[in-house]
Amino acid sequence: MADALRSSVKRLVLGVGNPIGTDDGVGIHVARELKKLDLPGVEVEELPASGLELLDMVVGYDKVIIVDAIKTRGGNPGDFYTLTEDDFVRSVHGASPHGINIPTALAMGRRIVPEQMPRELIFVAVEVEDIENVSDKMTPKVAKAVPRIVEFVEERLKSS
Amino acid sequence: MAGPIINDTPTKTKERQITIDPITRLEGHGKIEIFLNDQGNVENAYLQVPELRGFERFCIGRHVMELPVLTNRLCGVCPAAHHIASTKTLDAVFSAKPTETAKKIRELFYMGQFTHSHIAHFYALAAPDFVLGPSAPANKRNVLGVVDAVGVPIGAEVIKHRSYGQKVQEITGGRATHPVFGLPGGVSKQISEEERAQMEEMAKSCIKFGEFTIKLFHDLVLGNKDYMGLVLNKDAYYLETYYMGMVDKNGKSNFYDGDIRVVDQDGKEVEKFRPEQYLDVIAEHVEPWTFMKMPYLKKVGWKGLETGRGNGIYRVGPLGRINVCNGYTTPLAQKEYEFFKKTIKDLGVTGPMHFTLAFHWARVIELQYAAERMLELVGDKTITSDDIRGPFGQPKEGVGICEAPRGTLIHHYASDKDGLCTKINMIVASTNNYAASNASVRQAAKALIKDWMVSPGLLNKVEMAFRCYDPCHSCGTHSLNGGPALEVTIRRKDGSVLKTERNF
Repeated sequence: MADALRSSVKRLVLGVGNPIGTDDGVGIHVARELKKLDLPGVEVEELPASGLELLDMVVGYDKVIIVDAIKTRGGNPGDFYTLTEDDFVRSVHGASPHGINIPTALAMGRRIVPEQMPRELIFVAVEVEDIENVSDKMTPKVAKAVPRIVEFVEERLKSS
Repeated sequence: MAGPIINDTPTKTKERQITIDPITRLEGHGKIEIFLNDQGNVENAYLQVPELRGFERFCIGRHVMELPVLTNRLCGVCPAAHHIASTKTLDAVFSAKPTETAKKIRELFYMGQFTHSHIAHFYALAAPDFVLGPSAPANKRNVLGVVDAVGVPIGAEVIKHRSYGQKVQEITGGRATHPVFGLPGGVSKQISEEERAQMEEMAKSCIKFGEFTIKLFHDLVLGNKDYMGLVLNKDAYYLETYYMGMVDKNGKSNFYDGDIRVVDQDGKEVEKFRPEQYLDVIAEHVEPWTFMKMPYLKKVGWKGLETGRGNGIYRVGPLGRINVCNGYTTPLAQKEYEFFKKTIKDLGVTGPMHFTLAFHWARVIELQYAAERMLELVGDKTITSDDIRGPFGQPKEGVGICEAPRGTLIHHYASDKDGLCTKINMIVASTNNYAASNASVRQAAKALIKDWMVSPGLLNKVEMAFRCYDPCHSCGTHSLNGGPALEVTIRRKDGSVLKTERNF
């Protein structure tokens, strides 16, 4: 995890999701579009897992933007929200049978390697419609939102 | 540090249906339904699994060369295992024999996978029960509570060595999480001497960490009589099943390649088969209340969820593997295996270890083996050879099997002459274990919930009965919402929800 190479690169965009999970892949699709822009000084990565894998990826960066899918009651597919770790305080736990979730992994990082954790970490949570079926295509409303999300992330990267 | 909290105080419930609902994946999750009878004892219990739908259909018509990177998207938990099983299946589909170097690189990659996966399970998922206790307050019974209890330096070692496992996969497999290096007859990427040397240091460190983990297990579990009472509770955590796992030509445990061995309740070998013979050995039973199929031994037959000699239910994974093998090829794992055998013999166990919670012990032995095998492979300087790709023929049908961290994993593809997939079948580890994990849940529920008395600690002990299988039921990828670890829904007799309690 203490990857020395990472220390020279301070900003990271991390697309999280499953590219064949229909809208679950929105974070990955956004990351792929951002990668095409070849933004100077910005690393763009994909992460099709969660938990401790995510902790491995964010360590060593100053500023991290995580783009992921979210499903809220009554939400409109394609809308997106900016969230922080504080928004997930109630989700910090770990005694699940399968794995630990993102907020728990981040809390663990802040506990164990606080000096290596990002000073700023935000989530861009994209409201999704279908995360049940297997497809490499997003639903139309979510797919249509991708350029707006890319633009938003690009702007957020500039502000610091 | 205070001792673990093994028991809490149960209270009376008035409901006849109790649901344990571990919501951990957006894409689907398993839940436990417990039905009580008029006396408030457990009438029945079910582990229900909604599955991701349409994956096989999605693969049909795709080029089979895509399958190692498509099937590993099936799951965000063990993609490396799917990639290896899929790559081995392509070896069979294309009649390709991988080069010696390619086999070493694949196995090295795979030892990285076992290292990271077993560390994650033991420390993040199992340790909360061992360190803090199954009845500790739920808001403490998690990996952060473990770090608080054992200290940050140990937590840092956990993170570091799990990360080494990931790094080995990244160097050998191209990506840490969803690898891309497997090709029929070989791999796509050679290892440089610099990378080899880097991984050699990591492997040495992982061996030391394996030793530390075994000692920790001895101290926490073997050295605690209350825990041993739990582990050896025959009413709650004991199933006499068949066992299945991969062994090498000498009968030693192997995760990457070998024959699949099946032993009976006395440890006698009843099957030994090559991948292409799996359909002669395994059949699948379907129940109306769950999407997941229940494989069983064809020659023995399906007799419902009762275990025993007359029923073909088998177990895979660490417990399955340790029960089918004659030991391990590496010295420290072998030493611990011999201690394991001696200890259970002293407890009166002469054949296979049927106590379900022994999964955890087998898992830490396997962690040691994976680290030692990693060093063997990476210490061999010929692993940097450029001979990484062998010839391959025309596509047809093929089967590939490896041992996933959770157990035997089977992929089976058929291809047309153009390489397009016409048929795909996969039996994943948690499916192999599904009937047994159901039986374990039922057994634990019946033993622990009596006379309407229920508590979070008791429900967690029921969950422990299947958590030790390290189940991966929903092939989900991530969870941003981070649902509750455990949710209990108490229903009226007509099934409507009276109240919901969360233990977080």
